[in-house]
Amino acid sequence: MSLRLPARDLVAPDLHELRTSFSRQNILLCFNGPITAPLIEEIGTALRRHMENNDESPSAVSDVFSVYIEMAQNIRRYAQAQQCEHEASTIVISRDGQGRYVICAGNIVIDADGQALLKRIGDLGELDKAALKAAFKAQLRIPRDTLGQGAGLGLIDMARKASEALGCSLRPLDDGRALFSLRVVL
Amino acid sequence: MKNLQIQRTNSSPSIDADWDSGIIRMQGDSYPENSFELFQPLIDWVDTYLREAKRPLLLDLELLYLNTSSIRAMMDIFDMLEEAHGQGQSVAARWSYDAANERVGQLADEFKEDCSFPFTIHDKNLS
Repeated sequence: MSLRLPARDLVAPDLHELRTSFSRQNILLCFNGPITAPLIEEIGTALRRHMENNDESPSAVSDVFSVYIEMAQNIRRYAQAQQCEHEASTIVISRDGQGRYVICAGNIVIDADGQALLKRIGDLGELDKAALKAAFKAQLRIPRDTLGQGAGLGLIDMARKASEALGCSLRPLDDGRALFSLRVVL
Repeated sequence: MKNLQIQRTNSSPSIDADWDSGIIRMQGDSYPENSFELFQPLIDWVDTYLREAKRPLLLDLELLYLNTSSIRAMMDIFDMLEEAHGQGQSVAARWSYDAANERVGQLADEFKEDCSFPFTIHDKNLS
């Protein structure tokens, strides 16, 4: 048994490469790993501080924070319901070429759940702001015990705040699971 | 009925419901992981107060950011007030906020749209 490793593993993880990539993609904050309630709070606080220090308007801080919280809590609720809380999720907050904030998240889902989400998000994409508001208010009054995991309300809220239709994709993995990713541009 | 007091945290507001004065004060952000757990004692308190106290109730709010499950819980409370108002009880809400954060004002406006009882929204820097 040899302890010698190939050269590329000696420098792994390549932090320089990671940092260069983050900076090239204008990523201001990212998380990859199992998400917990205290982590959601801490990252959220860091995000708010960071934006406030950059003299962002209170509305911009509020919108980014709120989309981040809805996404992270949706992922966490799903992981709890599926009892897969050890599974890594990814959350990335960046800015696009026009300076708009982009909040993305990816998590592992059962393929059928992912398909249902794609359909739901596709349907929301057909609605204008007034229809989204009506959908939000209608969803608010659906009794709690007949709801799924409440992701519906969070998704509608994100769609209302977004400057373009929500983006999403599903990448199949093995054993009937898939990586679901969601992208919200503010 | 006892008063209800819940301490403020990073992710949950302070809640102070006073039986004698009939005033409920709430201040802060609300985005707990389990908002049902946070709000149920308050929902129960409001329900008991409206049935038993037979006195006016004022909801005095300085809430900031609410996640969607907290919005749902607050909507339940506003619906209870609306129903009591429909039965002739005296209920009111007052939402104070810093106008620099217009999102808070917009949130308060959306709640108010569905309420016919007295509901004032005002910039706390002006009062």
